[in-house]
Amino acid sequence: MHQSEEEHLIDMINHIAMNNLSVGDELAVAQMIEGHIRKFWPRRMKALLCDYIARDGSELHPAALLAGTRLSEKGA
Amino acid sequence: MLQHFDPNKDYGTPAVQSDIQVTLEIDGIEISVPEGTSVLRAAALANINIPKLCATDNLEAFGSCRLCTVHIEGRRGAPASCTTPAEQGMRVSTQNDKLAKLRRNIMELYISDHPLDCLTCPANGDCELQDMAGAVGLREVRYGFDGHNHLDAPKDTSNPYFTFDASKCIVCSRCVRACEEVQGTFALTIDGRGFDSKVVAGQDESFFDSDCVSCGACVQACPTATLSENAIITLGQPEHSVVTTCAYCGVGCSFRAEMKGDQLVRMVPHKGGDANHGHSCVKGRFAFGYATHKDRIKAPMIRDSIDQPWREVSWEAAMAFAADRLTSIQKEYGRESIGGITSSRCTNEETYLVQKLIRTAFGNNNTDTCARVCHSPTGYGLKQTLGESAGTQTFDSVMKSDCVLVIGANPTDAHPVFGSLMRRRLREGASLIVADPRQIDLLKTPHLGASLHLPLRPGTNVAMINALAHVVITEGLEDTDFIAQRCDASAYLRWRDFIKQSCHAPEVVEGITGVPAADIREAARTFAKVPNAAIYYGLGVTEHSQGSTMVMGIANLALVTGNIGREGVGVNPLRGQNNVQGSCDMGSFPHELPGYQHVSDPIARGRFEAVWGVTLDDEPGLRIPNMFDAAIAGQFRALYVQGEDIAQSDPNTQHVEEALRSLDCLIVQDIFLNETAKFAHVLLPGSTFLEKNGTFTNAERRINRVRKVMPPVAGKEDWQVTMALSNALGYAMHYDHPSQIMDEIAQLAPSFAGVSYDKLELQGSLQWPCNDEFPDGSPIMHETHFPTPHGKGQFAITEFVPTTERATRRFPLLLTTGRILSQYNVGAQTRRTDNQRWHQEDVLELHPHDAEERGVKEGDWLGISSRAGRTVLRALISERMQPGVVYTTFHHPGSGANVITTNNSDWATNCPEYKVTAVQVEKVSQPSEWQQGFEANHGRQQRFLLDATDSVAKDNYASK
Repeated sequence: MHQSEEEHLIDMINHIAMNNLSVGDELAVAQMIEGHIRKFWPRRMKALLCDYIARDGSELHPAALLAGTRLSEKGA
Repeated sequence: MLQHFDPNKDYGTPAVQSDIQVTLEIDGIEISVPEGTSVLRAAALANINIPKLCATDNLEAFGSCRLCTVHIEGRRGAPASCTTPAEQGMRVSTQNDKLAKLRRNIMELYISDHPLDCLTCPANGDCELQDMAGAVGLREVRYGFDGHNHLDAPKDTSNPYFTFDASKCIVCSRCVRACEEVQGTFALTIDGRGFDSKVVAGQDESFFDSDCVSCGACVQACPTATLSENAIITLGQPEHSVVTTCAYCGVGCSFRAEMKGDQLVRMVPHKGGDANHGHSCVKGRFAFGYATHKDRIKAPMIRDSIDQPWREVSWEAAMAFAADRLTSIQKEYGRESIGGITSSRCTNEETYLVQKLIRTAFGNNNTDTCARVCHSPTGYGLKQTLGESAGTQTFDSVMKSDCVLVIGANPTDAHPVFGSLMRRRLREGASLIVADPRQIDLLKTPHLGASLHLPLRPGTNVAMINALAHVVITEGLEDTDFIAQRCDASAYLRWRDFIKQSCHAPEVVEGITGVPAADIREAARTFAKVPNAAIYYGLGVTEHSQGSTMVMGIANLALVTGNIGREGVGVNPLRGQNNVQGSCDMGSFPHELPGYQHVSDPIARGRFEAVWGVTLDDEPGLRIPNMFDAAIAGQFRALYVQGEDIAQSDPNTQHVEEALRSLDCLIVQDIFLNETAKFAHVLLPGSTFLEKNGTFTNAERRINRVRKVMPPVAGKEDWQVTMALSNALGYAMHYDHPSQIMDEIAQLAPSFAGVSYDKLELQGSLQWPCNDEFPDGSPIMHETHFPTPHGKGQFAITEFVPTTERATRRFPLLLTTGRILSQYNVGAQTRRTDNQRWHQEDVLELHPHDAEERGVKEGDWLGISSRAGRTVLRALISERMQPGVVYTTFHHPGSGANVITTNNSDWATNCPEYKVTAVQVEKVSQPSEWQQGFEANHGRQQRFLLDATDSVAKDNYASK
């Protein structure tokens, strides 16, 4: 069950999204995810996420994609 | 040490708690004691020592030996002082001619059926029978020694740690009562009557074959040489002792290390220990032989690649080699290409130094700890809800609980001394609710009152806890006063709307958890209605894809029922290893500085920068699984691991091994060549808890001293090794003693501000927070407010999200993993002791139905496959399992239990989902491919180690 670093990262952020859907609408969930990532993810993973969104982003849950996009825009 | 009593003195009967004092006169001395105190204890408190044999102060009075008889003015006869409560105005004489004659007669009878071999007896110098013979002035035995006697009674040597010599037994019942009252196992009884009375283990079995769990309570209680440690029989009596703290589980028992010079003779549980009060388990009491095992790494070693033999070198050469490699890697791959892992087995001071080394000398925050794979969700979940990443109670608090809810924990195996305390409370009548896929032994507690087992399916914890809270809210069982006064109102209202939803009703959840709705309702009602209800949980809560959510769900349940902030209640994570709490407190996590201060907080960071003299990174570093991913990607190239065996303990072994193989430099500091060290380039000898000074912090936030009793085998304590590595890397560290490290911790971590070694010496132990607000520490947390922004408890929304790891046609069973009493964690310590006799291999437990369906018989070899890998274990057919669920332990590396666990992890913390792996099981005839590879590599790496030792031996010989 080999997973690349990027695949693992996509799983992780989608997992965060799925566990926090009850926070509110998509923006509210995205804000929660963004806050979580800022607080707990290392610089390297934030950068990988931003790279992936710039390149593709299709595997991300919509709220996760929005969170990642906000991170990219504000600077991870 | 500040003690209200002398822990080394035996006061005869237990202390009694009472607000009423009674004053009496004993031998003309006036003394006041709490009402209910025995005359024997009152006398002992006045330093009047009445002779006794069947009485000891950790057991209820029994009154069988009659040696403690006294004269009480106005009363007839000579009552036993152990069973006579002190009364106001009572006048007692402990010595007169009549009493002296009575006592001599009793001793005469005892000695008439006792071997007269005092000079060659193992108990010589530590025998209460001998002492009492002296105290009563026994000079002759008029009955002679030729009558019918027990002098030829056989010895039972079946237990590897102690011997039962029935010829020396005086049938005082202390061992039997210790097994019942202290340990709660009820493995011993007195069989027969009168002259035929004898102590029997189990159903007249050998000690080893009986239910005896070798806790040592009976050996401790025995007043003669009947039950003696084999070490005492072999080595004789110790000549000095040092009080220290056990290095096994998170209970953190205090022990007297009893020594002859620098040789450890035995570990005796310390009555003054605030966590254990003189009790112990088979690991802490007996399994210390690993410290002097031949496998200990005794010198630093290096090698250029993992395919080469080791080379023993000096400490200086090893440090220079390691520093050169780390520096070169950072030069080529960048500052963040290296990191380290602190140990939950090492001391607070050592853990603090490792994370300091990483944040200063490495210049990044790539520090993590093995708490990542056990209790990181506790840190996250309790911080979010209660404001502090720690359990709320003392262990003793359970004695005030009316209902105990145990979720995903197995205290009698994993935290045995606390398990015994809990059993004592259950015998007193507290009700028990167990939420666990397995029928754990706590449910079989002798004399257990009301109990309820909720055998939920693995992976459905959150659905269960939500259903319990749903019943509380919809049946109006919430504590409205507590909620109004202590909890955030808006968060509560949001949560209340969430939890009221019908999807959380037990009748709906029954389909998810498999637990009958009526049982869930009954459990919720019991929990909510009793005055004091407490929750205890373990890795069966945290090691799930929703571990953090479940911890928050537990906090919700405690808040909604008002069970926080006093004795008898609370949220109690049972920490796996000795210093999991401490390793988290000490800033091991990549996002937090010591004292749970986030790296992005400029004020906190500024204080550390001022003391450490460097600029600190304000971004979190890599977690352990992130390190593995980055290593395989080629971006993370070096790792320093202190006292942690990630190759055996972390999930998806093949993924971990690939990551470790990818490293250019792996530095392992350990007491043995563990599984991780087989992938290492630098091997630094670690020191055991017996070889160093420091502190451990147990599951109740109790900081206990670890005291050095023997020198470290390779000359350095672990904190000295880290210091040497830091100095070699150019970041100067200089400490002469761990107390100086603690002083630095107190300076920087607010909750430790009042902690010092001087204060620990005075108080014995301290529970943090210990600072200006709580100068003597904090036994119970959150009594008046929570350490949250507004001081209020925060309810959290806990949506149940099923794990992606589900039973399928290909993998129809769910594997859950755990631990057993005799072995500890990866087994590196306990496998090198006689504890091995109880558990020589990991087995796969499965339900008879699943076994029958596959044609499996007990002892068959079973191949266990998951989407991560495959391994082979022997079958153990057990009704403790529910159909569809299988179980194993991970104490033996060759078992490959973690070859089959997956990369699934908790959404918030990446704590692995060890407790749910979909597997298939089939009969096989040979070990798995991974196991065959493991055996081959094990042999090769052992040869590499032997070659290094041999070459040094030859060099030494040649130089003479």
